[in-house]
Amino acid sequence: MQVSTNDYYEDSGREGQIRCIFLSEFHATAGCKISCQVPADYVSKEVFDAINVYIIPKPHLQRCILTVNALDIKVVGYPVGIENQQKYARNAFLFNLCFVCDSWARSVQYEPVVKKLSEYLIMMEEESCFLSKEGDHKLKLQKIFETVIKDLNEKKVTTIVEGDTTIYLKIVIHKPDPPVVKDHMVPLLLVDFKNTPLDKWDLTTQQIFPYINGINHIARIAAEADVETNLVKSCIQNLAYYGVVHLLPILKYSNVYMCTQHLKSLIKMPSLSQACRKYVALNSDKTHPSIQKVFQFYASMTHGVTLRAICQRLCPQNYNIDERKLVIFGLQHKFIRCIHKYPVFTGSVPSGRQKMYTGLSSFDEICCKTGLSPLDIERDIDKDTNVTVIWK
Amino acid sequence: MEVNPIAVLLVYMDSKGDRLLFRYPYENVYKDKTPLHSMPLAASAPVLNNPPLVDVAMSSSTTSLVSQVSSDTSRKRNPYAISSSDELLQTAPPPNTAPANVFGVYNSCCNTVPKGQLEGFTDEVLSTLFAVKQQLCNQKLELKVNDVRFVSHPTLIPRNEHRNSAGNTSNASNTSNTSLPLAAPTTTTSATIGTATASSLPQPKSQPQQMLINIVFALHAQASYSIVKCYYELSKRLGLALRFEEQRASYCTEETMLMARTHDELSSQQQPLERTFDAITERCTLAQALKSIYHDLCTTGLLNTTLNQYLTVSFCLPQKAHQLHKKGSMVDPEVIDRCLSSLKPYHGMLLVDYAELLDCVPPRAARMLLQLVEIYTPLMSLQMLASEADMSIEHVYKMVSHLVYWGKATIIYPLCETNVYVIAPDAPLHTKSHLVEKFSARFAGMSLFDAIAHFSLPTSIGHLTTPLQQSARQGMLAQMVVWMLQHHLLMQLHTYVQFMPSDLDDFYGGVSTMNVAGSDYSACSDGVNEHKSSLMDLQEGTTTHSSIGVGATGELLISPLSRSMNVSDDELNAGSLLSCASQPLPVPHTSHRSITEDRYSGGCSTASDNIVAQPSSSHKSNYSMTASISTENCDSIASIEDEERIKELLSVFNDADRAAIRRIPASTNIDDLSLLVKLYQAGYFKSEHHLEEIMYFQSLRPAELLQLLDKFRDVLIIYETEDPAIASMYNNK
Repeated sequence: MQVSTNDYYEDSGREGQIRCIFLSEFHATAGCKISCQVPADYVSKEVFDAINVYIIPKPHLQRCILTVNALDIKVVGYPVGIENQQKYARNAFLFNLCFVCDSWARSVQYEPVVKKLSEYLIMMEEESCFLSKEGDHKLKLQKIFETVIKDLNEKKVTTIVEGDTTIYLKIVIHKPDPPVVKDHMVPLLLVDFKNTPLDKWDLTTQQIFPYINGINHIARIAAEADVETNLVKSCIQNLAYYGVVHLLPILKYSNVYMCTQHLKSLIKMPSLSQACRKYVALNSDKTHPSIQKVFQFYASMTHGVTLRAICQRLCPQNYNIDERKLVIFGLQHKFIRCIHKYPVFTGSVPSGRQKMYTGLSSFDEICCKTGLSPLDIERDIDKDTNVTVIWK
Repeated sequence: MEVNPIAVLLVYMDSKGDRLLFRYPYENVYKDKTPLHSMPLAASAPVLNNPPLVDVAMSSSTTSLVSQVSSDTSRKRNPYAISSSDELLQTAPPPNTAPANVFGVYNSCCNTVPKGQLEGFTDEVLSTLFAVKQQLCNQKLELKVNDVRFVSHPTLIPRNEHRNSAGNTSNASNTSNTSLPLAAPTTTTSATIGTATASSLPQPKSQPQQMLINIVFALHAQASYSIVKCYYELSKRLGLALRFEEQRASYCTEETMLMARTHDELSSQQQPLERTFDAITERCTLAQALKSIYHDLCTTGLLNTTLNQYLTVSFCLPQKAHQLHKKGSMVDPEVIDRCLSSLKPYHGMLLVDYAELLDCVPPRAARMLLQLVEIYTPLMSLQMLASEADMSIEHVYKMVSHLVYWGKATIIYPLCETNVYVIAPDAPLHTKSHLVEKFSARFAGMSLFDAIAHFSLPTSIGHLTTPLQQSARQGMLAQMVVWMLQHHLLMQLHTYVQFMPSDLDDFYGGVSTMNVAGSDYSACSDGVNEHKSSLMDLQEGTTTHSSIGVGATGELLISPLSRSMNVSDDELNAGSLLSCASQPLPVPHTSHRSITEDRYSGGCSTASDNIVAQPSSSHKSNYSMTASISTENCDSIASIEDEERIKELLSVFNDADRAAIRRIPASTNIDDLSLLVKLYQAGYFKSEHHLEEIMYFQSLRPAELLQLLDKFRDVLIIYETEDPAIASMYNNK
């Protein structure tokens, strides 16, 4: 439930490039106009006239990030007014630096950049009338815009030196909130980050990094790395936010998994099946396990059948399959789903451990919280007639 | 909630200027933030009609409160007053502080919308923003200011000028019908006078005067693309409805005039703006409609608003409407479309909400729907519904789609005894869930948890009842299953088939190793297993005692040791390997198909035992069978025609596959083989179609299909999962 709020952003969430940057100003005699645009004439005069009320708005809306999406373009701007009775013919200089994207594109990530670049321009204007003075400044501005549009689209970061000012800009991609990390979850490092040198990470990450192996759960990582559990959780959450780790349920041979509708993509996508065969191999020197065996293993996962039972039946070692890696790969690519066990207290007044049996925490979670083994909990529940177990 | 609108605005523009005629909600938008000391000043300023005093008011209230004062006095504002730059909106933090430092809240929401109210936007600002230029009319307009997103469809409406007298009479009848407040008749007459004067002005006759009506929804900026799209759709629909009503009965002209009059009237009496909007809500049916639209959007997400007592605008916000039976879920229209596009004739419909069923259609369209609902039962497929109701299947699809979109129905596979259900992964089953009480209210004396615990393992209704206590209990059970399906607590599992012969190397290699492994295994399985498991128990015990918190989870830690996996199974399916052949219950594959009186009966008990691939037995039997094939071939060689026919049939497979099929004894039977080839060619063995679908489209009996699958089990892999069409409506995380 907590995921939903930030999962969604405008326009199908696809990101688009910056198509154009322009500076619009309120000219003392000519009114609203575009004074500098890169590439030239991307926003035509007609279009600009239709939307100029949002580009140079009433003073009330100055210094707000204002995004208008109409006529098939999306303009992100930050209207600014600088008041100075001596300098300006109309006692104030109104301008707006705008980024233009496609109307379908997501543009939140540009908002801080637009604001920051505007602040630089305000500074330059206040110091040297960079924007309002007639002359070759426009050319310089055009150069700046050209660099910004090129660098940000290609590298998402740029540094520009103009006179005494150095402009630093960076696009930070806005991602959905990371999941809540709990004691019993297992972080799995994604392949792309395996070879990152250790000293590139922050201090906490450096300390816990050797223990992230797709098998250890958070509480164990904390104990082994001798780092406080909450610190580990925050660190892992951070890594999850940036897509460095993937959170999986803990792996036990008593776990029950079921295959999902995505299992068919293992057959449909040859690249995926190659990757899978390589990943799940017990001994990478021998021939990789056949896709038939791997598929059969996944296919036999269903409600009521534990991983142990499947291993006993299919003997994965004989086919060079590492069942743990197989499970991890399946979970990661959503071929399979872990079916968790939830004890629910159905009596009237819960006491002691019964208070934990709300149906919200799974067996693993309860084990981690209480420090008891699943067997103990199991016995506890078996004795208690007021507790029902639900698998889902 | 990001789904709810923050506000709805009505902006009007004609040749004489623009105005925000109505906004809702308007309570608290103005009063809360104005400090008490500045209130009397601001209020007294217009009374005295003394510009300098207004200036005093403006300059005395310095910081963020200025905008409020200015909004109250905006209409009388002194043109020479200095505009303060410290206005409310600018003090708001930027909406997207990048998550530079990490451990905090990520997408911190800034507040121009505290308490879900649209604050800091004066009527004047809003009206200039949304009285758009001609070029922007009749298309989508989206504007985001900090964390508020405005979406609208500005609609140009040609003023209906030929109806002065007629409009008057209809209006009179309207007022008598609805018993408007006393002020109404006088204002309406003046309104018509207004139009009369307007039309009497010298104007180019060819161009009818146009007005712009813009119904704007203010939303939270985080609202998803699809939510924004829905609100845009609603704004567009309302605009079209208003244009229609203007053509028919000059509705817009009258309503906008009435609103404008009320504004003028009350502001000349120095009434606060809330009072003005109160009066407008009392007098104008359009304002009432907007108010009810806002409330419906915030509560149910389903609208059925009649404009001018004539035109009904119905609209559904699925993201909201689908939360009723399951709180917290958010179903985007795209998801519903995906579900509906994969609708098949064998699917069924399950009505969720009988009582308010007909809300979703305008009364005139209800007849067809009633016809369908009358004959409906959850046992029927759409195909059956269509033939019973004497409609085309496309027509039924359309109506079902409509019901599903409006959250009145869900798609299921028609209820029957043999359907296998499990608990849905996202089922909100916890002690605090409102469903617990709802369930016991519906089924007296029953506990939801006890009832649903049966479905922890895949189970069918047929399986839960015995022939002896049949009818009553079965009826009850069916009712419960229906209830749980309505609340998305259960999910149906289907069986899928994937054609996958093991290649030759693998086959022989597998057999040789398999035999070793098998013997190895059988040696240790019975006696040693016990022994080892007790050993493991001991180990677990010691770890429990020695370690702190972490290690204490005993089994949670997988040491390389436990990979020998001989620990005895502590679950319900104890010793599942050994018992799976003899004792069908715990293994779902075998359980649901061996029910005696179900559709799958006949010959399937043999099928079921072996339907799960069991290499230890099947491979061995394969091995022995390859030996026997040759003899069988000799027998059947008598009919050379058969042999040629088989060759012909097998030619659809590639060499490796053909060899694998050849090894199966059933491949010599022409009937079996041709059925296999037929299904293979039709693409049914690619994990895309479940057994029910194959049976439906190929008109096969369950027994036929299951026998075939069993005969060719060495080249087919069978597994169970949910129907993607139906599962897409569940919130799979």
